[in-house]
Amino acid sequence: MRSKFEIGFIVITIAITLLFFIVIGSMFLIPSFEGFINALFSEEMAFAITLTLYTSIISAILVILCCIPIAYTLSRYEFPLKSFFKIIIDLPMAFPEIVIGIAILMFLGSNGIGGYLDALGISLVFNSTGIIIAQFFVALPYAVRMLYSTFNYIDPRYEFVSRSLGYNETSTFFNITLPLAKNGLFATSIISLARCIGTFASVLFVGGGILMKTETLAVSMYLNLSTGDIDLAITSGILLVIISFITIAIMEKYAKESYLQ
Amino acid sequence: MFLEIKNLSVDLREFRLKDINLSIAEGEYFVLIGPTGSGKSVLLETIIGFYKENTGTIKLKDKLLNNVSPENRGIGIVYQDNTLFPNMNVYENIAYGAKNKFSDKEIEKKIDEIAKIMKIKHILHRNVTTLSGGEAQRTTLARALIVEPKIILMDEPFSALDISTQSKLTSLIKKIGAKYNTTFLHVTHNFNDIWNLADRVGVMKDGNIHQVGYVQDVFSRPENNFVADFVGVQNIFEGVITNINSERAKINLKNGIEITSSDIDCLNKINKNSYYKNEIKNNVKDEKEYIKVLIAIRPESIIFSNEKFESSARNQLKGKIIEIIESGPTVLVNVNVEGHIFKGLITKSSAENLNIKNNKDIYLSFKSLNVSIIDEYESFNTY
Repeated sequence: MRSKFEIGFIVITIAITLLFFIVIGSMFLIPSFEGFINALFSEEMAFAITLTLYTSIISAILVILCCIPIAYTLSRYEFPLKSFFKIIIDLPMAFPEIVIGIAILMFLGSNGIGGYLDALGISLVFNSTGIIIAQFFVALPYAVRMLYSTFNYIDPRYEFVSRSLGYNETSTFFNITLPLAKNGLFATSIISLARCIGTFASVLFVGGGILMKTETLAVSMYLNLSTGDIDLAITSGILLVIISFITIAIMEKYAKESYLQ
Repeated sequence: MFLEIKNLSVDLREFRLKDINLSIAEGEYFVLIGPTGSGKSVLLETIIGFYKENTGTIKLKDKLLNNVSPENRGIGIVYQDNTLFPNMNVYENIAYGAKNKFSDKEIEKKIDEIAKIMKIKHILHRNVTTLSGGEAQRTTLARALIVEPKIILMDEPFSALDISTQSKLTSLIKKIGAKYNTTFLHVTHNFNDIWNLADRVGVMKDGNIHQVGYVQDVFSRPENNFVADFVGVQNIFEGVITNINSERAKINLKNGIEITSSDIDCLNKINKNSYYKNEIKNNVKDEKEYIKVLIAIRPESIIFSNEKFESSARNQLKGKIIEIIESGPTVLVNVNVEGHIFKGLITKSSAENLNIKNNKDIYLSFKSLNVSIIDEYESFNTY
């Protein structure tokens, strides 16, 4: 017999989840099947899918490579101004993505270091490199936060024991800590990838939102909505939902079993 | 000395180890006890190199360890909880440390040998998450031993185990200690571990070691009221020394009770102090100038009788039973003697033979040798 409390909470959960499902699902009802297929196999959509996956995979790899030492440092070591550094890294999660986009653009554009980079023949904005930079800045704080929790959850005494058995810090990190963080690392990778794929405002600003040049799926949706091509816009949206669903489903399936549970 | 710690201080902000001095001989089994938060684990982790010393030295076999990294100290550690690496099976866990020292063939031979001793041969290929508490701790010990550490530090290794498994592991550790001449530094809350394993014992509180000595000495002659209380001396009373010579001292408790003590170590210490000696020899009448001390008597040192009898016990008191607490095969009897509550421990059958019951008058006897004098104590009101 379920208590009233339990029933109440289950009802709230189901109601809100259903609301989410209906809102997201309604997008699938808007385009005609023919319009959806035409949009899906259009040159523009193929370009957007390729660019999104290409930039997102590179960004996600960079995010993981950077977040491992940052998260481990924040979890294990004490150093001056540690709290301040934590706030700085978390900050982008708290303000709108558009702010990150503008900040990166200001920094890398002609008002910042852009002039010097131009002189060296390096261009980091309004191209796929700019997209990767924008995705990196958006996804990194989430990845650090997730992996930080994972490292916190690993008892440092495993590392102490490994050290006492003759392994130095580096070997201990690779032999013990990383394998124990495997599931958290996997989940972080998936979330980072999903975050990179879905990044919009900062990518629009830093990449420039140029048709068939810096047009990711999210940007494509925006550009086509602006020009009134609903089929292309909604197809981009549907693809984003499908990709997100697949990534979350993969994470749910493979990140469940944990050494530390 | 094999392990020698001198004037060691460690500041972890929220906790400090203060001026620790400790020496452990090769092959010795040293047990460190103390309440939770006294710094026992921090001391172990400082010895192994996980915390940096602020001052002082740690030497192992005359080699200064202060700037040696944990992996090069040759010290093994066994924790209370299962710290077997969950990403490896039992065999891989044991082989992990050995890989740094021995060839694959040697490792195989060594694991075979140690698995036989530890009785874990049948579980070598098991996933460590499926092991029982006893199996896990035997594997942990095997993993620590296989790299042949100079000393093994054990942080409450049995506390998560049931009593039967604890006793099996205790015998196993005794066997290992004898076979490999291993030196152990063992932190525990369990007095059985002390009686069963320890050669010597140290008592810690608030980042300090308060007393180090042979087990019998620490338990029967605690040096201060904290140690007395911690090692289970339930009879601690404040009094003044009214008479002292090289053999015994007479201590007056409140309400005129006189207790005789032959705590030779303490008597010598007091006798050496000329001030005290003069005070007493001059038979100072002013009570303020008597030497205040605490006396400690273990409850198992008290003998009960229904009648007064002639014996070698110099202390015999009459009181009234006020409380009887049964605990398994023993009975703790609280007796009010002129306002002082004496606690004596006897067996259930003795209690039945003596017809122990509340409000009954009873005689208590205890030898002067069993009365410890604590001349340095923190606060009378502690107890």
